[in-house]
Amino acid sequence: MKVKTMEANKSVLVIGGGIAGMQASLDLADRGLKVFLLEKTPSIGGRMAQLDKTFPTMDCSICILAPKMIECLRHPNITLLTYCEVQDVSGSAGNFTVKVLKKPRFIDEEKCTGCGECAQYCPIEVPNEFDMGIGIRKAIYVPLPQAVPLKYTIDEENCIKCRLCQRTCKAEAVDFDQKPETINLNVGAIIVATGFDMFDARKRREYGYGRYRNVLISLEFERLVSASGPTGGHIVRLSDGRVPRRIAFIQCVGSRSLKGGVTFCSSACCVYATKEAILIREHDPECEVYIFYNELKIFGKGFQEFVTRARDEWGVKYIRALPGEVVEDPKTHDLTMWYEDTTENVTKNMKVDLVVLCPALIPTVANKELASILGLDLDEYGFFECKDPLFKPIDTNVPGIFICGYSQGPKDIPESVAQASGAAARAAEVMALAASREAQ
Amino acid sequence: MSSEPRIVAFLCNWCSYAGADLAGTSRIRYPPNIRIIRVMCSGRVDPAFIFRAFETGADGVLVGGCHPGDCHYVSGNLKAEKRMENTKKLLKLLGLGPERLRLEWISAAEGEKFAQVVTDFTGTLRRIGPNPLKAKTNVNKSIDVEAVVSEALKKTNVQYCVECGKCSGSCPVSRVDNSFSPRRVVERFLLGFEDKVISGKDLWTCLSCYQCSERCPSDVRFPEFVRACRSIAPRDMLEETCAHRGIPMTLSRIMINPKIKQDRMGWLPERAQISKRGDLLYFVGCLPYLDILFEDFNLELIKTPQSVVKILNKVGIKPAMLPNEKCCGHDLLWTGDLENFEKLAKLNVANIKATGAKRVVTSCPECYRTIKKDYAEFVGELDFEVLHMSELLSELVDKDELKFEVYPERKVVYHDSCRLGRQMGVYEPPRKVISSLPGTQLVEMERNRENALCCGVNAWLSCNKYHKEIQMDRLKEAKATGADLLVTTCPKCRIHWKCVTSEKLPINPDEITMEMRDLSVLVAEAMNLA
Amino acid sequence: MKRVEEETPRIGVFICHCGINIGGIVNVPEVVEYAKTLPGVVYAEDNLYTCSSVGISKIKEGIAKHNLNRVIVASCTPRTHEPLFRGACEEAGVNKYLFEMANIRDQCSWAHMHEPEKATEKAKDLVRMAVAKSRLLKSLEEPEIDVTPSALVIGGGISGMTTALCLAGQGFKVYIVEKEPELGGMLRHLYKLYPTMQDASERLNHIVNSVKSDKGIEVLTSTVVKQVKGFIGNFEVTVQKANGGTANFGVGTIIVATGAPIFEPVGMYGYGEYDNVITQLQLEQLLKDGQLKKPKSVIMIQCVGAREKEGRTYCSRICCMTAIKNAMLIKDLYPDTDVHILFRQLQTYGEHYEEHYRTAQDKGVKFIKYLQEKPPEVISGKNGKLTVNVHHALLDEELKFGSDLVVLSTPLIQHEDAKKLSQILKVPLGSDGFFFEAHVKLRPIDFATDGIYVCGTAHSPKDTPESVSQALGVASRAAIPMALKRLRTEAITAVVNETYVVAVEPA
Repeated sequence: MKVKTMEANKSVLVIGGGIAGMQASLDLADRGLKVFLLEKTPSIGGRMAQLDKTFPTMDCSICILAPKMIECLRHPNITLLTYCEVQDVSGSAGNFTVKVLKKPRFIDEEKCTGCGECAQYCPIEVPNEFDMGIGIRKAIYVPLPQAVPLKYTIDEENCIKCRLCQRTCKAEAVDFDQKPETINLNVGAIIVATGFDMFDARKRREYGYGRYRNVLISLEFERLVSASGPTGGHIVRLSDGRVPRRIAFIQCVGSRSLKGGVTFCSSACCVYATKEAILIREHDPECEVYIFYNELKIFGKGFQEFVTRARDEWGVKYIRALPGEVVEDPKTHDLTMWYEDTTENVTKNMKVDLVVLCPALIPTVANKELASILGLDLDEYGFFECKDPLFKPIDTNVPGIFICGYSQGPKDIPESVAQASGAAARAAEVMALAASREAQ
Repeated sequence: MSSEPRIVAFLCNWCSYAGADLAGTSRIRYPPNIRIIRVMCSGRVDPAFIFRAFETGADGVLVGGCHPGDCHYVSGNLKAEKRMENTKKLLKLLGLGPERLRLEWISAAEGEKFAQVVTDFTGTLRRIGPNPLKAKTNVNKSIDVEAVVSEALKKTNVQYCVECGKCSGSCPVSRVDNSFSPRRVVERFLLGFEDKVISGKDLWTCLSCYQCSERCPSDVRFPEFVRACRSIAPRDMLEETCAHRGIPMTLSRIMINPKIKQDRMGWLPERAQISKRGDLLYFVGCLPYLDILFEDFNLELIKTPQSVVKILNKVGIKPAMLPNEKCCGHDLLWTGDLENFEKLAKLNVANIKATGAKRVVTSCPECYRTIKKDYAEFVGELDFEVLHMSELLSELVDKDELKFEVYPERKVVYHDSCRLGRQMGVYEPPRKVISSLPGTQLVEMERNRENALCCGVNAWLSCNKYHKEIQMDRLKEAKATGADLLVTTCPKCRIHWKCVTSEKLPINPDEITMEMRDLSVLVAEAMNLA
Repeated sequence: MKRVEEETPRIGVFICHCGINIGGIVNVPEVVEYAKTLPGVVYAEDNLYTCSSVGISKIKEGIAKHNLNRVIVASCTPRTHEPLFRGACEEAGVNKYLFEMANIRDQCSWAHMHEPEKATEKAKDLVRMAVAKSRLLKSLEEPEIDVTPSALVIGGGISGMTTALCLAGQGFKVYIVEKEPELGGMLRHLYKLYPTMQDASERLNHIVNSVKSDKGIEVLTSTVVKQVKGFIGNFEVTVQKANGGTANFGVGTIIVATGAPIFEPVGMYGYGEYDNVITQLQLEQLLKDGQLKKPKSVIMIQCVGAREKEGRTYCSRICCMTAIKNAMLIKDLYPDTDVHILFRQLQTYGEHYEEHYRTAQDKGVKFIKYLQEKPPEVISGKNGKLTVNVHHALLDEELKFGSDLVVLSTPLIQHEDAKKLSQILKVPLGSDGFFFEAHVKLRPIDFATDGIYVCGTAHSPKDTPESVSQALGVASRAAIPMALKRLRTEAITAVVNETYVVAVEPA
């Protein structure tokens, strides 16, 4: 696939292969428009693929996501551009020219069957990014078992070129001579759906993340509790493999802060912590779970009822105090937290086996570069700025380019999905306008 | 104003007071300049009374007790003797002169002796002249409460508090004293219960260690808020909670008077090279006074400035120094005496300017913060750069100008004092300096840098059992690192820790006793200059 | 396609572990072995994740290798993956209606987590049931129908108007049916909108004019929907106007954008009894008309009639921000007035609302948290002055405030006539009264009934930009069938067995 040029008024570029990007792509494809779905990692799926269950319905995340991923793969109107990045954009609404860099996988995608033999023989083990560094992958890998497309990738940085994979591959798919490719696209509209990263919790040194083995961030915990994760879904401490008897969640790490973090509220953490708490109680009814919060954000549809269930039926305990610090016992790696208990009006400590921090969800760090390529305005936190925060939340300062999902502002999955459809509608409007101009 | 000297006398009930009575009944005459206060024992006479007397204008103070061996309370008079010796040294430093204080043993039968002593003392006082502090009373003028409160609100961000509780969860005092909660103090204040907050005990419990502030997501500067409230709080709470009966603050206030000519350079080492003017000025702080006040602790506090001067001289720097250096005013500021603090600040800045110094270096973290930050805030931008001795030493290490000659193999643990560390962000220079000493291995406590635990006392306030717990906690932590030496830059930290280890405590003293050293002294020793 | 009714059924059974969701409780290998014993089953296997691309490939491989003409997947609920598996069958040459699912997760392993043996037995039975049914399945063809490229939007508020403009912009005809005499909905009654503090009427008028001047949009005000017949692509709508007359027209899709009124807290905190206890909406009106006389002390109470133990258990999302916005407006007008907001959990979510909270703090608005178990009390005193008692959650103290204006923040609720509309359209209402979507996570603005969509506060309480996002969203969802112009509909429909018909009623 060297150079691809499609008729301008018939295709849309969607940047970001998470749930928002996929929804926008499917809406556009289902109505007959052509879509290029671009994703910088080797597989689409995004953050939702990393989750075990989703609130408030407790659906299995990958279960409801996988069909969408497969649909994107099979849909005749969608072309997946995975392991690709946008390098340059020129033109205007109705007629953008986009230069895309396709990074070399060193695997011939036409030949690879996804059988996985190569990975069995690869001698190099590195921390798996998809598992937040807790699990292991090989230098030749797929990020997750349900990867779409199910094609392997060789991680150039860690590969030692021993060529064992090449010798093993029955399909002869390994190609070390592969070079980066440039793809030129001609599209009528662009939708940005680049999602979020996590605030670096090491910045809040008082919580010991990065120093204490049993202090995790929420996405790491999701991987632990996921059946396809590094521990097969068993909640165990990373320091000694023991099953924890008492787990504490700390909310607002780096959020809602005038200093040492970001000012905004990530809008999903109170409920996802509740979800994780329920998962723990489901897995192990003997394990005590505490959620330390400041204000519980339960504004969404079904959120309040979800939290009430967690508290009344599942016995999750909510304490309105953010702990001052987490201290580790160097011998046992048990953790002690200091906080002010408002029911007793004393400052006390609590010994727990595992601490899960809920860090601020920040817009993807790479937005900065993308914004300058696309000519979009970015606010101080990295969210793309919309044209009018009241009546035009999806439009941007560049006509023909639209934003949706977390890159537009903090929101959860249903809001991302609805807004993604909204971006698709706006893109379709642009395409209709361009088509009618051409017709004249 | 009469030029007759005024003497305030503290006479013990059993001996000297009776002796004075006898002089009266025997009609023996003596000058009427004396005013007598009866105490039960000369051992009751607190040096704080003596300084108060001088501060309020007394020209001389007489303390009368029983002859040694005759004390009604066995050894009270011996304690008095020790105290008076100590106080005289302080008076000498202050430039008031040790002659203004007399301790006499007068028995109930010695009416004659009493009259003789008074006559003699009056004569001496006539000769040496009146107390330079005469007619100066330090009474806080009434301050515009509304203005102060609204200023505090604006600058310290209290209105942004969201009650998250991180402060109370971080506060070292909260953990040991359950009644103290920064979160609740702020909330009460915001709801309009300023009176309760301002007249309460909680206000004086805060260590101003900034641990809460450092972690507060709303950037509430709780210590500065407390400081502002203290400035309008009734003084009786302060007097109730202040340790050492406020003597250090009294000394600071006395120094404000321009007529006071201190005699404070006696500690300078032989052949020390200093000057009246220069590019670099060394601001000593109250170490000469603290050295005397706490001489029982054997902390050798005076070695710090001595080491600094020796090191500076060795690398070829002849520092400017102020022979009439005033207290930086830190304790006055943090106990709410804003008026006198401003006076001290203005005096010091003027004196420093007069030396032409471009850089001011100090070895005390409290002086460092106060001059660099608070002077600039209260008095205006400074014309000179302020640095801490550890920063200067770090510069010298970079330029390879420090030559070490002694290489003891040892482990050193460094404690970040609140003022130098969290408040001013100076964490790495002291560590760099320690690590550069040959044979020395630097180890860290778990709670270091911005998470360091305060030494437990601030501005001499609230030195009670809760604060002792905090101190023991920190010392245990230091001891647990297995280090041979506990090094810090703050003399107050060392004083407070020494204080707690000298007391009878419910734990084995070995668990918390550590050899301590000031950073500059450590370096001087390694350079074989000590 | 072969005439499979003539062939012997060759049934393939694919049993899913779903990670540990099924496999951790049900003994899947045992069920596989069991399935092989069932009559007609020629092949059975298990998969870790049948919905993954590996699983899909295995189904297709299985069909090809073993010549299957019936496919069973025993896994999760058909409501998520049935279309996916059906698609796989089609691609492998098996008519999608020869596919059946057994729900051994949502209705088995998840519900019987503590009884694994019984769950395994149940799973075997469910597989046996599916296999038995599959023998009777017939291949069906889905008819293609024409889709009328026009949409009915019920509700002419910001959501309805936004979706109408977007659909018209894409070239579709739109009917807006609005029961009030004017377009605009709730925004007509609002003063300023957070976070920008823009005037609501100004922007609203602009949008209303756009709608009115758009040739693709037909606006029917003072009109309600009376009846809807038909199905996606072919709805027949009957509307009734205020003068009693009716009109009929055909549309391809229907969008519910009926909005939500606020709850009137009669009898709560003195509302209805004291003149100076009002709702936030009434406060907006006062501010808008410049009729707010300077109060000395305003107390706002949040969660009035919301987040209750029963009934209105939900959080109405926008009340905290509305209170903060109005509190700031009062402070701007009268800086000396005390304003206290009594809240339970402060909902200042998202990118900008936290900053607004800080601005309110700056302006001197005070926030007091109270617990659900100890709600505030409003007591009337002399001269109409009120006293508000509140238990401060943190300080654990009773506080007393004198107040001359108490403002109650009440939730948005569903319209009274929503029940009727839901029956007309045959779409469900949730337990909170609002319209209930097809899937909370992945189909938030679709109804389970194809061709009908929902957006705005009819779905759940939300603010203006959130309503706009959803409205644009439904414009995309509704456009899909209309853009394709033709649709394949469900092949399985009801059929009348004339043998048993007893009587025929006139239509």
